[in-house]
Amino acid sequence: MTSPTETSATEDEHKPSIRPADEVRILASGEREFFMDVATSDLEINMGPQHPATHGVMRVLLRTDGELVTGAQPHLGYLHRCAEKIGESVEWLQYLPYTDRYDYLSAMNNNLSYSLAVEALMPELEIPRRGTMIRMICAELNRIASHLVAFGTYGLDIGAFTPFFYAFREREWIQALFEKICGARLTYSYIRIGGVFNDTPPGWLREVADFCDVFEGKWQEYYDLLIENHIFVQRTANVGVITAEMAYDFGLTGPMLRGSGVDFDLRRDMPYLEYGQAHDAGAFGVPLGTGEKGTLGDCWDRTQVRMKEMIECLGIVRWCLEQIEPGPIIGNVPRVIKVPPGEAYVGIENPRGELGHYLHSDGGKIATRCRVRAPSFVNLAVLEDLMPGSLLADAVAIIGATDIVVGETDR
Amino acid sequence: MDFNAIAEHLSVANVPGLLSVDLPRPPDKKTKDKGRSGLPHVCVDPACMVEFLTFCRDDEALGFEVLIDLSASDPSVDDENLWILIQLLSVRHRHRLGIKSLLPKSALSMPSSTRVYRAAQWHERECMEMFGVTFEGHPDPRNMLLPDDWPGYPMRKDYEFPKEYHGISCE
Repeated sequence: MTSPTETSATEDEHKPSIRPADEVRILASGEREFFMDVATSDLEINMGPQHPATHGVMRVLLRTDGELVTGAQPHLGYLHRCAEKIGESVEWLQYLPYTDRYDYLSAMNNNLSYSLAVEALMPELEIPRRGTMIRMICAELNRIASHLVAFGTYGLDIGAFTPFFYAFREREWIQALFEKICGARLTYSYIRIGGVFNDTPPGWLREVADFCDVFEGKWQEYYDLLIENHIFVQRTANVGVITAEMAYDFGLTGPMLRGSGVDFDLRRDMPYLEYGQAHDAGAFGVPLGTGEKGTLGDCWDRTQVRMKEMIECLGIVRWCLEQIEPGPIIGNVPRVIKVPPGEAYVGIENPRGELGHYLHSDGGKIATRCRVRAPSFVNLAVLEDLMPGSLLADAVAIIGATDIVVGETDR
Repeated sequence: MDFNAIAEHLSVANVPGLLSVDLPRPPDKKTKDKGRSGLPHVCVDPACMVEFLTFCRDDEALGFEVLIDLSASDPSVDDENLWILIQLLSVRHRHRLGIKSLLPKSALSMPSSTRVYRAAQWHERECMEMFGVTFEGHPDPRNMLLPDDWPGYPMRKDYEFPKEYHGISCE
Protein backbone atom coordinates (compact mmCIF):
# COMPACT_ATOMS: atom_id res chain seq x y z
CA MET A 1 0.00 0.00 0.00
CA THR A 2 1.28 3.45 -0.80
CA SER A 3 0.35 6.69 0.87
CA PRO A 4 -1.69 9.30 -1.06
CA THR A 5 1.22 11.72 -1.26
CA GLU A 6 3.48 9.15 -2.90
CA THR A 7 0.85 8.26 -5.50
CA SER A 8 0.38 11.85 -6.56
CA ALA A 9 4.14 12.27 -6.87
CA THR A 10 4.44 9.33 -9.30
CA GLU A 11 1.43 10.56 -11.26
CA ASP A 12 3.15 13.89 -11.74
CA GLU A 13 6.23 12.14 -13.09
CA HIS A 14 4.26 10.21 -15.69
CA LYS A 15 2.14 13.11 -16.78
CA PRO A 16 2.58 13.48 -20.55
CA SER A 17 4.31 16.70 -21.38
CA ILE A 18 2.02 18.25 -23.97
CA ARG A 19 3.25 21.64 -24.86
CA PRO A 20 0.86 24.41 -25.86
CA ALA A 21 0.15 24.70 -29.53
CA ASP A 22 3.07 26.17 -31.37
CA GLU A 23 0.90 27.93 -33.84
CA VAL A 24 -2.82 28.54 -34.25
CA ARG A 25 -4.21 29.50 -37.61
CA ILE A 26 -7.79 30.59 -38.16
CA LEU A 27 -9.21 29.16 -41.35
CA ALA A 28 -11.64 30.93 -43.69
CA SER A 29 -14.49 28.79 -42.33
CA GLY A 30 -13.82 30.17 -38.87
CA GLU A 31 -12.35 26.88 -37.59
CA ARG A 32 -9.07 26.99 -35.78
CA GLU A 33 -6.22 24.76 -36.92
CA PHE A 34 -3.51 23.82 -34.42
CA PHE A 35 0.06 22.93 -35.23
CA MET A 36 1.72 21.05 -32.46
CA ASP A 37 5.18 19.62 -32.09
CA VAL A 38 4.48 16.38 -30.22
CA ALA A 39 7.40 14.09 -29.56
CA THR A 40 6.54 10.48 -30.44
CA SER A 41 8.74 7.44 -30.42
CA ASP A 42 8.52 4.10 -32.21
CA LEU A 43 6.90 1.30 -30.28
CA GLU A 44 8.02 -2.28 -30.73
CA ILE A 45 5.25 -4.85 -30.52
CA ASN A 46 5.70 -8.58 -30.47
CA MET A 47 2.95 -10.13 -32.55
CA GLY A 48 3.09 -13.72 -31.37
CA PRO A 49 4.52 -16.30 -30.72
CA GLN A 50 0.97 -17.18 -29.69
CA HIS A 51 -1.05 -14.72 -31.73
CA PRO A 52 -4.07 -16.45 -33.30
CA ALA A 53 -3.47 -14.82 -36.70
CA THR A 54 -0.03 -16.40 -37.09
CA HIS A 55 -1.71 -19.84 -37.40
CA GLY A 56 0.92 -21.53 -35.33
CA VAL A 57 3.91 -20.49 -33.32
CA MET A 58 5.55 -17.57 -35.04
CA ARG A 59 6.59 -14.13 -33.86
CA VAL A 60 6.61 -10.95 -35.91
CA LEU A 61 8.43 -8.05 -34.32
CA LEU A 62 6.50 -4.99 -35.44
CA ARG A 63 7.83 -1.47 -35.10
CA THR A 64 4.98 1.00 -35.07
CA ASP A 65 4.67 4.75 -35.18
CA GLY A 66 1.16 5.28 -33.85
CA GLU A 67 -1.10 3.24 -36.11
CA LEU A 68 1.52 2.97 -38.81
CA VAL A 69 3.80 -0.05 -39.13
CA THR A 70 7.34 1.09 -39.89
CA GLY A 71 9.10 -2.26 -39.72
CA ALA A 72 8.39 -5.96 -39.45
CA GLN A 73 10.78 -8.76 -38.70
CA PRO A 74 9.52 -12.36 -38.64
CA HIS A 75 11.22 -14.62 -36.10
CA LEU A 76 10.94 -18.30 -36.91
CA GLY A 77 12.14 -21.54 -35.43
CA TYR A 78 9.62 -22.17 -32.65
CA LEU A 79 8.41 -25.26 -34.50
CA HIS A 80 11.73 -26.43 -35.88
CA ARG A 81 11.78 -30.23 -35.77
CA CYS A 82 14.95 -30.97 -37.76
CA ALA A 83 13.04 -32.56 -40.66
CA GLU A 84 16.05 -32.35 -42.97
CA LYS A 85 18.37 -33.97 -40.44
CA ILE A 86 15.84 -36.74 -39.84
CA GLY A 87 15.74 -37.23 -43.63
CA GLU A 88 19.42 -38.16 -43.46
CA SER A 89 18.93 -40.57 -40.58
CA VAL A 90 15.99 -42.80 -41.54
CA GLU A 91 15.27 -45.04 -44.52
CA TRP A 92 13.61 -43.68 -47.65
CA LEU A 93 10.15 -45.01 -46.86
CA GLN A 94 10.42 -44.28 -43.15
CA TYR A 95 10.79 -40.59 -43.92
CA LEU A 96 7.41 -40.42 -45.64
CA PRO A 97 5.38 -39.83 -42.42
CA TYR A 98 7.64 -36.88 -41.59
CA THR A 99 6.63 -35.18 -44.85
CA ASP A 100 3.04 -35.15 -43.58
CA ARG A 101 4.12 -32.84 -40.85
CA TYR A 102 5.55 -29.88 -42.74
CA ASP A 103 2.33 -28.49 -44.08
CA TYR A 104 -0.18 -30.50 -42.13
CA LEU A 105 -3.09 -29.03 -44.10
CA SER A 106 -1.92 -30.54 -47.38
CA ALA A 107 -0.22 -33.76 -46.35
CA MET A 108 -1.23 -35.61 -49.55
CA ASN A 109 0.65 -33.08 -51.66
CA ASN A 110 3.70 -33.33 -49.38
CA ASN A 111 3.71 -37.13 -49.75
CA LEU A 112 3.40 -36.68 -53.49
CA SER A 113 6.32 -34.26 -53.73
CA TYR A 114 8.63 -36.56 -51.78
CA SER A 115 7.51 -39.66 -53.67
CA LEU A 116 8.04 -37.98 -57.04
CA ALA A 117 11.52 -36.87 -55.99
CA VAL A 118 12.48 -40.43 -54.97
CA GLU A 119 10.97 -41.77 -58.19
CA ALA A 120 13.06 -39.31 -60.20
CA LEU A 121 16.10 -41.18 -58.84
CA MET A 122 14.58 -44.57 -59.73
CA PRO A 123 14.04 -44.43 -63.50
CA GLU A 124 13.18 -48.12 -63.73
CA LEU A 125 10.21 -47.85 -61.41
CA GLU A 126 6.90 -47.75 -63.26
CA ILE A 127 3.82 -46.16 -61.73
CA PRO A 128 0.54 -47.84 -62.71
CA ARG A 129 -2.05 -45.54 -64.25
CA ARG A 130 -4.70 -46.21 -61.60
CA GLY A 131 -2.15 -45.19 -58.96
CA THR A 132 -1.51 -41.93 -60.81
CA MET A 133 -5.24 -41.19 -61.05
CA ILE A 134 -5.83 -41.85 -57.34
CA ARG A 135 -2.84 -39.63 -56.57
CA MET A 136 -4.33 -36.80 -58.59
CA ILE A 137 -7.77 -37.17 -57.03
CA CYS A 138 -6.30 -37.13 -53.52
CA ALA A 139 -3.95 -34.23 -54.24
CA GLU A 140 -6.77 -32.09 -55.62
CA LEU A 141 -9.25 -32.95 -52.85
CA ASN A 142 -6.52 -32.06 -50.39
CA ARG A 143 -5.96 -28.78 -52.19
CA ILE A 144 -9.65 -27.95 -51.79
CA ALA A 145 -9.49 -28.83 -48.08
CA SER A 146 -6.39 -26.69 -47.64
CA HIS A 147 -7.87 -23.69 -49.46
CA LEU A 148 -11.06 -24.08 -47.39
CA VAL A 149 -8.99 -23.62 -44.23
CA ALA A 150 -7.18 -20.67 -45.81
CA PHE A 151 -10.48 -19.06 -46.75
CA GLY A 152 -12.23 -19.82 -43.46
CA THR A 153 -9.45 -18.69 -41.17
CA TYR A 154 -8.74 -15.61 -43.24
CA GLY A 155 -12.31 -14.52 -42.64
CA LEU A 156 -11.80 -15.31 -38.97
CA ASP A 157 -8.62 -13.22 -38.84
CA ILE A 158 -10.27 -10.10 -40.10
CA GLY A 159 -13.55 -10.44 -38.27
CA ALA A 160 -15.93 -12.58 -40.33
CA PHE A 161 -16.82 -15.54 -38.15
CA THR A 162 -19.49 -17.30 -40.20
CA PRO A 163 -17.58 -18.49 -43.30
CA PHE A 164 -15.23 -20.47 -41.06
CA PHE A 165 -17.99 -22.88 -40.03
CA TYR A 166 -19.17 -23.42 -43.59
CA ALA A 167 -15.59 -24.02 -44.72
CA PHE A 168 -15.00 -26.57 -41.99
CA ARG A 169 -18.25 -28.38 -42.76
CA GLU A 170 -17.09 -29.06 -46.31
CA ARG A 171 -13.55 -29.86 -45.16
CA GLU A 172 -14.99 -32.40 -42.75
CA TRP A 173 -16.46 -34.30 -45.71
CA ILE A 174 -13.09 -34.40 -47.46
CA GLN A 175 -11.46 -35.61 -44.26
CA ALA A 176 -14.09 -38.33 -43.96
CA LEU A 177 -13.29 -39.38 -47.53
CA PHE A 178 -9.59 -39.56 -46.68
CA GLU A 179 -10.37 -41.48 -43.51
CA LYS A 180 -12.16 -44.08 -45.62
CA ILE A 181 -9.26 -44.44 -48.02
CA CYS A 182 -6.34 -44.51 -45.58
CA GLY A 183 -7.60 -44.33 -42.00
CA ALA A 184 -6.09 -40.95 -41.14
CA ARG A 185 -7.71 -37.55 -41.14
CA LEU A 186 -4.73 -35.23 -41.26
CA THR A 187 -1.40 -37.02 -41.66
CA TYR A 188 -2.08 -39.56 -44.36
CA SER A 189 1.20 -41.11 -45.59
CA TYR A 190 -1.08 -42.53 -48.27
CA ILE A 191 0.80 -41.63 -51.44
CA ARG A 192 3.82 -43.94 -51.38
CA ILE A 193 6.97 -44.27 -53.43
CA GLY A 194 5.75 -46.11 -56.54
CA GLY A 195 2.04 -45.41 -56.27
CA VAL A 196 -0.47 -45.34 -53.46
CA PHE A 197 -0.77 -47.50 -50.37
CA ASN A 198 -4.26 -48.92 -50.70
CA ASP A 199 -6.96 -49.27 -53.34
CA THR A 200 -10.14 -47.23 -53.04
CA PRO A 201 -12.86 -48.85 -50.90
CA PRO A 202 -16.13 -49.80 -52.66
CA GLY A 203 -18.29 -46.78 -53.46
CA TRP A 204 -15.54 -44.29 -52.67
CA LEU A 205 -15.24 -42.88 -56.18
CA ARG A 206 -19.01 -42.42 -56.35
CA GLU A 207 -18.89 -40.48 -53.09
CA VAL A 208 -16.11 -38.27 -54.47
CA ALA A 209 -18.36 -37.50 -57.45
CA ASP A 210 -21.20 -36.65 -55.04
CA PHE A 211 -18.89 -34.33 -53.13
CA CYS A 212 -17.96 -32.52 -56.34
CA ASP A 213 -21.60 -31.95 -57.21
CA VAL A 214 -22.56 -30.70 -53.76
CA PHE A 215 -19.48 -28.53 -53.34
CA GLU A 216 -19.94 -26.83 -56.68
CA GLY A 217 -23.35 -25.59 -55.55
CA LYS A 218 -22.05 -24.38 -52.19
CA TRP A 219 -19.00 -22.65 -53.63
CA GLN A 220 -20.89 -19.74 -55.16
CA GLU A 221 -22.57 -19.18 -51.79
CA TYR A 222 -19.21 -18.89 -50.05
CA TYR A 223 -17.82 -16.66 -52.72
CA ASP A 224 -20.73 -14.24 -52.31
CA LEU A 225 -20.65 -14.57 -48.54
CA LEU A 226 -17.03 -13.57 -48.03
CA ILE A 227 -15.16 -12.61 -51.17
CA GLU A 228 -17.80 -10.25 -52.55
CA ASN A 229 -18.74 -8.97 -49.11
CA HIS A 230 -18.39 -5.20 -48.95
CA ILE A 231 -16.64 -5.16 -45.56
CA PHE A 232 -14.23 -7.88 -46.68
CA VAL A 233 -13.39 -5.96 -49.85
CA GLN A 234 -12.77 -2.81 -47.80
CA ARG A 235 -10.40 -4.69 -45.50
CA THR A 236 -8.39 -6.43 -48.22
CA ALA A 237 -8.46 -4.39 -51.44
CA ASN A 238 -5.40 -2.14 -51.93
CA VAL A 239 -3.79 -3.73 -48.86
CA GLY A 240 -0.39 -5.46 -49.06
CA VAL A 241 0.19 -4.96 -52.78
CA ILE A 242 2.82 -7.29 -54.29
CA THR A 243 3.93 -6.36 -57.79
CA ALA A 244 5.05 -9.02 -60.25
CA GLU A 245 8.69 -7.83 -60.01
CA MET A 246 8.59 -8.08 -56.24
CA ALA A 247 7.07 -11.56 -56.47
CA TYR A 248 9.89 -12.70 -58.77
CA ASP A 249 12.56 -11.13 -56.61
CA PHE A 250 11.34 -12.85 -53.45
CA GLY A 251 10.83 -16.17 -55.23
CA LEU A 252 7.11 -16.34 -54.50
CA THR A 253 5.18 -19.23 -55.97
CA GLY A 254 1.64 -20.55 -56.04
CA PRO A 255 -1.35 -18.29 -55.32
CA MET A 256 1.03 -15.57 -54.05
CA LEU A 257 2.56 -15.33 -57.53
CA ARG A 258 -0.69 -15.74 -59.44
CA GLY A 259 -2.36 -13.12 -57.26
CA SER A 260 0.10 -10.63 -58.76
CA GLY A 261 -1.17 -11.50 -62.22
CA VAL A 262 1.68 -13.83 -63.26
CA ASP A 263 0.27 -16.66 -65.34
CA PHE A 264 2.24 -19.62 -64.03
CA ASP A 265 1.10 -22.92 -62.61
CA LEU A 266 3.45 -25.90 -62.40
CA ARG A 267 0.57 -28.28 -63.06
CA ARG A 268 0.02 -26.73 -66.47
CA ASP A 269 3.43 -25.32 -67.40
CA MET A 270 5.76 -28.06 -66.15
CA PRO A 271 3.31 -30.94 -65.88
CA TYR A 272 3.86 -33.93 -63.65
CA LEU A 273 1.57 -36.98 -63.24
CA GLU A 274 -1.12 -36.49 -65.91
CA TYR A 275 -1.92 -32.83 -65.34
CA GLY A 276 -0.73 -32.01 -68.84
CA GLN A 277 -3.32 -34.35 -70.38
CA ALA A 278 -5.97 -33.02 -67.99
CA HIS A 279 -5.26 -29.45 -69.07
CA ASP A 280 -5.30 -30.40 -72.76
CA ALA A 281 -8.72 -31.96 -72.19
CA GLY A 282 -9.88 -28.64 -70.74
CA ALA A 283 -10.28 -29.99 -67.20
CA PHE A 284 -8.84 -26.94 -65.47
CA GLY A 285 -7.75 -23.37 -65.97
CA VAL A 286 -5.46 -21.12 -63.99
CA PRO A 287 -7.19 -18.26 -62.12
CA LEU A 288 -5.18 -15.05 -61.86
CA GLY A 289 -5.31 -11.84 -59.88
CA THR A 290 -7.03 -9.11 -61.85
CA GLY A 291 -6.96 -6.03 -59.64
CA GLU A 292 -10.73 -5.96 -59.98
CA LYS A 293 -11.47 -4.49 -56.53
CA GLY A 294 -8.33 -2.45 -56.02
CA THR A 295 -4.73 -2.82 -57.11
CA LEU A 296 -3.30 -5.86 -58.87
CA GLY A 297 -1.59 -8.10 -56.33
CA ASP A 298 -3.43 -6.99 -53.18
CA CYS A 299 -4.76 -9.27 -50.45
CA TRP A 300 -8.15 -9.51 -52.13
CA ASP A 301 -6.58 -10.79 -55.35
CA ARG A 302 -4.66 -13.52 -53.55
CA THR A 303 -7.75 -14.67 -51.69
CA GLN A 304 -9.93 -14.81 -54.77
CA VAL A 305 -7.25 -16.79 -56.63
CA ARG A 306 -7.36 -19.43 -53.88
CA MET A 307 -11.13 -19.39 -53.94
CA LYS A 308 -11.36 -19.85 -57.72
CA GLU A 309 -8.71 -22.58 -57.65
CA MET A 310 -11.09 -24.77 -55.68
CA ILE A 311 -13.52 -24.87 -58.61
CA GLU A 312 -10.67 -25.71 -60.99
CA CYS A 313 -9.69 -28.60 -58.69
CA LEU A 314 -13.18 -30.05 -59.12
CA GLY A 315 -12.59 -30.13 -62.89
CA ILE A 316 -9.42 -32.18 -62.41
CA VAL A 317 -11.12 -34.59 -59.98
CA ARG A 318 -13.98 -35.14 -62.43
CA TRP A 319 -11.57 -35.72 -65.31
CA CYS A 320 -9.75 -38.34 -63.21
CA LEU A 321 -13.03 -40.01 -62.27
CA GLU A 322 -13.78 -40.39 -65.99
CA GLN A 323 -10.31 -41.74 -66.77
CA ILE A 324 -9.80 -44.11 -63.86
CA GLU A 325 -9.85 -47.84 -64.68
CA PRO A 326 -9.32 -50.97 -62.61
CA GLY A 327 -5.74 -52.11 -62.33
CA PRO A 328 -2.73 -52.18 -60.02
CA ILE A 329 -2.13 -49.18 -57.78
CA ILE A 330 1.54 -49.47 -56.87
CA GLY A 331 4.63 -50.40 -58.87
CA ASN A 332 7.09 -53.11 -57.98
CA VAL A 333 8.68 -51.58 -54.88
CA PRO A 334 10.77 -53.71 -52.52
CA ARG A 335 10.12 -53.63 -48.78
CA VAL A 336 13.45 -51.92 -48.14
CA ILE A 337 14.06 -49.41 -50.90
CA LYS A 338 17.56 -48.91 -52.22
CA VAL A 339 17.80 -45.81 -54.37
CA PRO A 340 20.50 -45.72 -57.09
CA PRO A 341 23.19 -43.06 -56.62
CA GLY A 342 22.20 -39.68 -57.95
CA GLU A 343 20.65 -36.37 -57.14
CA ALA A 344 17.41 -34.77 -58.19
CA TYR A 345 15.31 -31.75 -57.43
CA VAL A 346 11.56 -32.10 -57.98
CA GLY A 347 9.10 -29.33 -57.23
CA ILE A 348 5.35 -29.62 -57.46
CA GLU A 349 2.43 -27.23 -57.10
CA ASN A 350 1.32 -27.41 -53.49
CA PRO A 351 -1.66 -25.37 -52.27
CA ARG A 352 0.80 -22.76 -50.93
CA GLY A 353 3.31 -22.76 -53.76
CA GLU A 354 6.15 -24.89 -54.97
CA LEU A 355 7.12 -27.66 -52.57
CA GLY A 356 10.40 -29.10 -53.72
CA HIS A 357 12.65 -31.88 -52.53
CA TYR A 358 16.30 -32.06 -53.41
CA LEU A 359 17.40 -35.62 -52.73
CA HIS A 360 20.91 -36.98 -52.91
CA SER A 361 21.53 -40.70 -52.71
CA ASP A 362 24.81 -42.57 -52.61
CA GLY A 363 23.09 -45.84 -53.44
CA GLY A 364 22.19 -46.89 -49.92
CA LYS A 365 19.08 -47.30 -47.80
CA ILE A 366 19.34 -43.77 -46.40
CA ALA A 367 19.46 -40.40 -48.13
CA THR A 368 22.72 -38.42 -48.05
CA ARG A 369 20.83 -35.15 -48.25
CA CYS A 370 17.13 -34.40 -48.06
CA ARG A 371 16.48 -30.74 -48.67
CA VAL A 372 12.96 -29.38 -48.39
CA ARG A 373 12.10 -26.23 -50.29
CA ALA A 374 9.05 -25.11 -48.36
CA PRO A 375 6.72 -22.59 -50.01
CA SER A 376 5.54 -20.97 -46.76
CA PHE A 377 9.13 -20.29 -45.72
CA VAL A 378 9.88 -18.44 -48.94
CA ASN A 379 6.54 -16.65 -49.14
CA LEU A 380 6.89 -15.35 -45.59
CA ALA A 381 10.09 -13.44 -46.43
CA VAL A 382 8.05 -10.89 -48.36
CA LEU A 383 6.53 -9.62 -45.08
CA GLU A 384 9.68 -7.64 -44.30
CA ASP A 385 9.00 -5.51 -47.36
CA LEU A 386 5.23 -5.63 -47.41
CA MET A 387 4.41 -4.49 -43.88
CA PRO A 388 6.24 -1.14 -43.59
CA GLY A 389 3.83 1.63 -44.47
CA SER A 390 0.68 -0.33 -43.75
CA LEU A 391 -1.67 0.21 -40.83
CA LEU A 392 -1.41 -1.94 -37.74
CA ALA A 393 -4.90 -3.32 -38.36
CA ASP A 394 -3.79 -4.41 -41.83
CA ALA A 395 -0.86 -6.42 -40.46
CA VAL A 396 -3.22 -9.27 -39.66
CA ALA A 397 -4.84 -9.03 -43.08
CA ILE A 398 -1.43 -9.22 -44.78
CA ILE A 399 -0.20 -12.22 -42.77
CA GLY A 400 -3.54 -13.98 -43.32
CA ALA A 401 -3.39 -13.49 -47.09
CA THR A 402 0.15 -14.91 -47.15
CA ASP A 403 -1.47 -18.13 -45.94
CA ILE A 404 1.44 -19.70 -44.13
CA VAL A 405 1.57 -22.92 -42.18
CA VAL A 406 4.22 -22.63 -39.50
CA GLY A 407 4.95 -26.35 -39.57
CA GLU A 408 6.30 -25.74 -43.03
CA THR A 409 8.23 -22.53 -42.45
CA ASP A 410 10.19 -24.15 -39.63
CA ARG A 411 10.19 -27.79 -40.76
CA MET B 1 14.92 -24.76 -73.51
CA ASP B 2 16.00 -28.14 -72.24
CA PHE B 3 19.11 -28.60 -70.14
CA ASN B 4 21.48 -29.26 -73.04
CA ALA B 5 20.39 -26.11 -74.86
CA ILE B 6 20.84 -24.04 -71.68
CA ALA B 7 24.32 -25.48 -71.09
CA GLU B 8 25.22 -24.83 -74.72
CA HIS B 9 23.95 -21.25 -74.48
CA LEU B 10 25.97 -20.67 -71.29
CA SER B 11 29.20 -22.00 -72.76
CA VAL B 12 28.77 -20.03 -76.02
CA ALA B 13 28.20 -16.84 -74.04
CA ASN B 14 31.38 -17.60 -72.07
CA VAL B 15 29.76 -16.78 -68.74
CA PRO B 16 32.26 -16.19 -65.90
CA GLY B 17 32.50 -19.09 -63.48
CA LEU B 18 31.06 -21.88 -65.64
CA LEU B 19 33.24 -24.94 -65.01
CA SER B 20 31.55 -28.09 -66.31
CA VAL B 21 28.31 -29.96 -66.72
CA ASP B 22 27.25 -32.74 -64.36
CA LEU B 23 25.10 -35.16 -66.34
CA PRO B 24 23.38 -38.38 -65.25
CA ARG B 25 25.06 -41.52 -66.58
CA PRO B 26 24.07 -45.18 -66.64
CA PRO B 27 25.94 -47.66 -64.41
CA ASP B 28 28.92 -49.41 -65.98
CA LYS B 29 29.81 -52.87 -64.69
CA LYS B 30 33.28 -53.01 -66.31
CA THR B 31 34.65 -49.96 -64.51
CA LYS B 32 32.50 -50.73 -61.41
CA ASP B 33 30.93 -47.29 -61.83
CA LYS B 34 27.59 -47.19 -60.03
CA GLY B 35 26.35 -44.44 -62.38
CA ARG B 36 24.33 -41.44 -61.44
CA SER B 37 20.59 -41.09 -61.86
CA GLY B 38 18.41 -38.01 -61.49
CA LEU B 39 18.68 -34.58 -63.02
CA PRO B 40 21.65 -32.69 -64.55
CA HIS B 41 23.46 -29.69 -63.04
CA VAL B 42 25.91 -27.07 -64.21
CA CYS B 43 29.01 -26.68 -62.04
CA VAL B 44 29.96 -23.12 -61.21
CA ASP B 45 32.91 -21.54 -59.43
CA PRO B 46 31.52 -20.20 -56.11
CA ALA B 47 33.67 -17.05 -56.31
CA CYS B 48 31.88 -16.02 -59.54
CA MET B 49 28.38 -16.93 -58.35
CA VAL B 50 27.05 -13.36 -58.33
CA GLU B 51 28.16 -12.70 -61.93
CA PHE B 52 26.82 -16.07 -63.04
CA LEU B 53 23.40 -15.54 -61.45
CA THR B 54 23.20 -11.99 -62.80
CA PHE B 55 23.78 -13.31 -66.31
CA CYS B 56 21.14 -16.03 -65.85
CA ARG B 57 18.62 -13.47 -64.64
CA ASP B 58 19.26 -10.76 -67.22
CA ASP B 59 19.90 -12.83 -70.34
CA GLU B 60 16.85 -12.70 -72.62
CA ALA B 61 17.06 -16.33 -73.81
CA LEU B 62 17.52 -17.75 -70.28
CA GLY B 63 15.29 -15.37 -68.32
CA PHE B 64 15.58 -16.97 -64.88
CA GLU B 65 13.48 -14.53 -62.87
CA VAL B 66 13.04 -16.72 -59.81
CA LEU B 67 15.56 -18.27 -57.45
CA ILE B 68 13.63 -21.26 -56.20
CA ASP B 69 16.07 -22.74 -53.73
CA LEU B 70 19.55 -22.31 -52.31
CA SER B 71 20.97 -24.88 -49.95
CA ALA B 72 24.04 -26.94 -49.27
CA SER B 73 24.86 -30.59 -48.95
CA ASP B 74 27.63 -32.37 -47.09
CA PRO B 75 28.26 -35.57 -49.10
CA SER B 76 30.33 -37.34 -46.44
CA VAL B 77 32.75 -36.79 -43.56
CA ASP B 78 35.72 -37.66 -45.78
CA ASP B 79 34.75 -35.36 -48.64
CA GLU B 80 36.87 -32.24 -48.89
CA ASN B 81 34.08 -30.14 -50.35
CA LEU B 82 30.65 -28.92 -49.41
CA TRP B 83 28.15 -28.56 -52.25
CA ILE B 84 26.18 -25.37 -52.69
CA LEU B 85 23.02 -26.13 -54.65
CA ILE B 86 20.88 -23.54 -56.38
CA GLN B 87 17.69 -24.08 -58.34
CA LEU B 88 16.53 -21.43 -60.79
CA LEU B 89 13.19 -21.18 -62.56
CA SER B 90 12.16 -19.18 -65.58
CA VAL B 91 8.49 -18.30 -65.54
CA ARG B 92 8.37 -16.90 -69.06
CA HIS B 93 10.36 -19.70 -70.74
CA ARG B 94 9.12 -22.47 -68.45
CA HIS B 95 12.47 -24.09 -67.78
CA ARG B 96 14.66 -24.85 -64.79
CA LEU B 97 18.37 -24.96 -64.07
CA GLY B 98 20.20 -26.71 -61.28
CA ILE B 99 23.53 -25.18 -60.21
CA LYS B 100 26.12 -26.92 -58.12
CA SER B 101 29.32 -25.41 -56.79
CA LEU B 102 31.97 -27.06 -54.67
CA LEU B 103 33.20 -25.13 -51.69
CA PRO B 104 36.27 -26.50 -49.85
CA LYS B 105 35.53 -27.22 -46.19
CA SER B 106 38.77 -25.49 -45.23
CA ALA B 107 37.51 -22.12 -46.57
CA LEU B 108 33.72 -22.03 -46.37
CA SER B 109 33.12 -18.60 -47.77
CA MET B 110 31.47 -17.26 -50.90
CA PRO B 111 29.81 -14.01 -52.00
CA SER B 112 26.16 -13.53 -51.08
CA SER B 113 23.60 -13.79 -53.88
CA THR B 114 21.17 -11.48 -52.09
CA ARG B 115 22.01 -8.60 -54.43
CA VAL B 116 20.81 -10.63 -57.41
CA TYR B 117 17.79 -12.36 -55.88
CA ARG B 118 16.22 -11.21 -52.62
CA ALA B 119 14.88 -14.74 -52.23
CA ALA B 120 18.42 -15.88 -51.42
CA GLN B 121 18.42 -13.94 -48.15
CA TRP B 122 16.56 -16.40 -45.95
CA HIS B 123 17.98 -19.46 -47.69
CA GLU B 124 21.51 -18.18 -47.06
CA ARG B 125 20.73 -17.48 -43.42
CA GLU B 126 19.56 -21.06 -43.01
CA CYS B 127 22.62 -22.33 -44.86
CA MET B 128 24.92 -20.29 -42.61
CA GLU B 129 23.59 -21.69 -39.35
CA MET B 130 23.20 -25.28 -40.61
CA PHE B 131 26.49 -25.68 -42.51
CA GLY B 132 28.73 -22.87 -41.29
CA VAL B 133 29.09 -21.30 -44.73
CA THR B 134 29.86 -17.57 -44.68
CA PHE B 135 28.09 -15.51 -47.32
CA GLU B 136 30.09 -12.32 -47.65
CA GLY B 137 28.00 -9.19 -47.88
CA HIS B 138 24.86 -10.76 -46.43
CA PRO B 139 22.70 -7.94 -45.02
CA ASP B 140 21.29 -9.83 -42.02
CA PRO B 141 23.42 -12.82 -40.99
CA ARG B 142 21.46 -13.85 -37.89
CA ASN B 143 20.31 -17.39 -37.14
CA MET B 144 17.08 -18.31 -38.88
CA LEU B 145 15.69 -21.44 -37.24
CA LEU B 146 18.14 -22.29 -34.46
CA PRO B 147 18.61 -20.40 -31.17
CA ASP B 148 21.32 -17.75 -31.31
CA ASP B 149 23.66 -19.67 -29.02
CA TRP B 150 23.36 -23.08 -30.64
CA PRO B 151 26.78 -24.76 -30.84
CA GLY B 152 28.03 -26.32 -34.05
CA TYR B 153 26.53 -26.75 -37.51
CA PRO B 154 23.87 -29.47 -37.33
CA MET B 155 23.62 -30.43 -41.00
CA ARG B 156 27.33 -31.23 -41.31
CA LYS B 157 28.09 -34.93 -41.33
CA ASP B 158 30.71 -34.53 -38.60
CA TYR B 159 28.24 -32.83 -36.23
CA GLU B 160 28.18 -34.20 -32.70
CA PHE B 161 24.83 -34.06 -30.98
CA PRO B 162 25.02 -31.95 -27.81
CA LYS B 163 24.54 -33.74 -24.49
CA GLU B 164 22.63 -30.90 -22.91
CA TYR B 165 21.29 -27.45 -23.71
CA HIS B 166 20.93 -24.91 -20.89
CA GLY B 167 20.65 -27.66 -18.31
CA ILE B 168 18.11 -29.65 -20.36
CA SER B 169 19.36 -33.16 -21.05
CA CYS B 170 19.24 -34.11 -24.72
CA GLU B 171 19.85 -37.82 -24.17
